[in-house]
Amino acid sequence: MSQVRIQHEDFSVQDEVDVLRQVSRKIGGIASFLGCARDFSEGREILSIAFEQYTAMALGAMQQLREEAMERFDIIEVRLIHRVATVLPGEQIVLIVVGAEHRAPAFDACRWIIDELKQRVPIWKKEATSDGELWVSQHP
Amino acid sequence: MKLRVLFFGAFAERRQERECELQVRKAMSLTDLLVHLDFDVGTPVVLAVNCQVVNDYKMTLADGDEVAVMPIFSGG
Repeated sequence: MSQVRIQHEDFSVQDEVDVLRQVSRKIGGIASFLGCARDFSEGREILSIAFEQYTAMALGAMQQLREEAMERFDIIEVRLIHRVATVLPGEQIVLIVVGAEHRAPAFDACRWIIDELKQRVPIWKKEATSDGELWVSQHP
Repeated sequence: MKLRVLFFGAFAERRQERECELQVRKAMSLTDLLVHLDFDVGTPVVLAVNCQVVNDYKMTLADGDEVAVMPIFSGG
């Protein structure tokens, strides 16, 4: 499967790590970030989170992030997946897996990618809460 | 010229439309477009033209451009 995906269905972290590990025997460290749905936000109970995306732009922006990360950091491979299904608390939303020869650039790239994704990828969350539905403003 | 304008998230809900087509007779900048759409100047917005974010709102639009009018992103 593609290294960069937007999909409704859930993903397997282990499967993605396994695929990344097969890319090169030079990989000595793999760092990952897994974003999940919380059951509370700003004092409100979260029942579910729905997503909306500008599909034509979002996938391109994620692919661009991968390419920039590969240039910016001393890393070997990146996999990046964002779900756009309606998710329940505890469910998986976003996964970044970075493989490198050494741990430091893998950690650094992982952090950089999720920070940039939040700024640059046109996806929006709408939370269903105990007080009704509301669009999420950007989280730090 | 003809423009296709897309709305997302809270903007689409507020306007009760996800997209519209505009026929305009004279050159139009992104600022002109926001005024035409009755967007408050203070509303945080991200604009993209043909899938590229544009920060220079003086940019003049061209016939056939697709303009996305988007709230601040909140994915991840």
